[in-house]
Amino acid sequence: MTADPTALGIPEDAMRRLAEMRPGQATSLFTSDLSVNEFLLVREAGFRPLGLVLGSSIYHVGFQMGRWSSNQELTTLSQAMYHARELAMTRMETEADQLGADGIVGVRLDIEFKEFGSDLAEFIAVGTAVSAEQPQTPDGEPWRNNQGQPFTSDLSGQDFWTLIQAGYAPLGMVMGTCVYHIAHQRFWQAMGNIGQNVELPQFTEALYDARELAMSRMQAEAERLAAEGIVGVQLLSLGHRWGGHTTEFFAIGTAVRPLRADHVIAKPQLVLPLTDS
Amino acid sequence: MAKWDGRGLPPVATDRMARFARSGLRTSLLTVPGAAGVQSVGLDPVGEVMGCIVEHIGWSGFAGCGYLGGIPGLGGFNLGGFSGYGLGGPTVTSSGSRGFVGFGPYVDALYHGYGTALGRMIEEAVAMDADGVVGVRLSVSQLGNSNREFVALGTAVRARSQHRPSQLFTTDLAGQDVAKLLHAGWAPYAVVYGISVAIRHDDWATQRQASWGAGNTEVAGYTELVWHVRADARHCFEQRVRAAGAEGAIVSSMGLAISEIEPSEGHRDHVAEATVFGTALVRFHEDSAAPTRSLTMLPLR
Repeated sequence: MTADPTALGIPEDAMRRLAEMRPGQATSLFTSDLSVNEFLLVREAGFRPLGLVLGSSIYHVGFQMGRWSSNQELTTLSQAMYHARELAMTRMETEADQLGADGIVGVRLDIEFKEFGSDLAEFIAVGTAVSAEQPQTPDGEPWRNNQGQPFTSDLSGQDFWTLIQAGYAPLGMVMGTCVYHIAHQRFWQAMGNIGQNVELPQFTEALYDARELAMSRMQAEAERLAAEGIVGVQLLSLGHRWGGHTTEFFAIGTAVRPLRADHVIAKPQLVLPLTDS
Repeated sequence: MAKWDGRGLPPVATDRMARFARSGLRTSLLTVPGAAGVQSVGLDPVGEVMGCIVEHIGWSGFAGCGYLGGIPGLGGFNLGGFSGYGLGGPTVTSSGSRGFVGFGPYVDALYHGYGTALGRMIEEAVAMDADGVVGVRLSVSQLGNSNREFVALGTAVRARSQHRPSQLFTTDLAGQDVAKLLHAGWAPYAVVYGISVAIRHDDWATQRQASWGAGNTEVAGYTELVWHVRADARHCFEQRVRAAGAEGAIVSSMGLAISEIEPSEGHRDHVAEATVFGTALVRFHEDSAAPTRSLTMLPLR
């Protein structure tokens, strides 16, 4: 912000505009869940926010016991965690579709277990629907993905801007989940390890297995969208409410495709910020 | 102490305004970057402003069993965008509450609380000859006995300009954000909020889906309840932004709380309260060449 604000008409023009406010005048209205930084960057990336979109599902997660001494996926729970998230995401996409959006940015996908019922959780997806100023991407394709749906992305406005600058377009959020039961050690096995520093191969293998399942499911979704790659992947281990030996491994990221052959961005300038945050 | 009848500002606040006018001492709730930000766009902080009200909420409306609202065509608010559930579902939102059930009076009391707190804050800012209030923080605290305190706090600013806004602008955005918006050709206009409370009768399908042995299933009734209450709160929010004549809104927070009530022996219904808070915006540089520029940089920290 090097330009002189007064020369740009700030705050003079702003105050004049506020003086002209007439309640009830017809305007084209948008709402957005973005921060100011994100809002301005998304606009600069060539997109206009259309409205906040939201999808939600309250889901009863079934019950499944893992066998005490075996490493196994708890498929009932995996299915529940995936299905409920998918319901929330699909409803959010439907809202965006109705707004005629090209995509949804800044998506947050949260789970909240409710106090009033056992095994009840709310799955919620919130984001900001946007439409592109150019109806087509620079390579002449639509912005929507190959499923005809608005693209979705959990990237922040800042990351979204950088991604577009670097010549990539988001296609959709992809996810994979696996709820895994890790075997308990047998008594003599546990006794044998007392006082020793050893690897527990059975546990290591269980964690490898579970993560692999979650990641391969995420990759399969990206392949379905004909993506070149997945960015911003998070691989989370979520305990939820199932006790120490049952964990959800959840992989989520944004599938992208290239818009052009080179992916050069402006060389960043180094700055020394005077604040901590 | 003189007795105050609840009109205008309490005597202490009036005294504080008079003292401010005499001494000219500036106070501010802004952070250093926030203060630097607003000053960089020609807004000078003039003082800290506050408004509050303690309200007794003794009447929530006929909070009876939600079933009464389930008569088709009576209750229920529909966004029109949700394929799974049609109109007239057994969810009753405060906007659609009539007669026998619904939380209309309760929601009106909440609106009144926030509105009065903001109004008194604005009155202080007007007394300081300000043009706007930035960094507004709205909070509610429970004082027990169904009493609640609503507080609005912010920093009044005055613009270095010939024109004065027709009414004070308010925003819950921080000083830095206000500066960035003004640079991009957007002005904050007003703090806006939408509130809705809904009740839904736990019908047998809901009870079955939420029971222990139900397996993996969506609890359609609860989903519908949160869906309707959020949709209603968002709708109220949007209507208020639109009624103000603004062109957009940045949502700062969305809240949802669900609680259980027992309207009759052995039977439970669920009540959900949803809120949306944000700032309405207007554009003052219509040409798309709003002076935003991004600088690719890498902070050394």
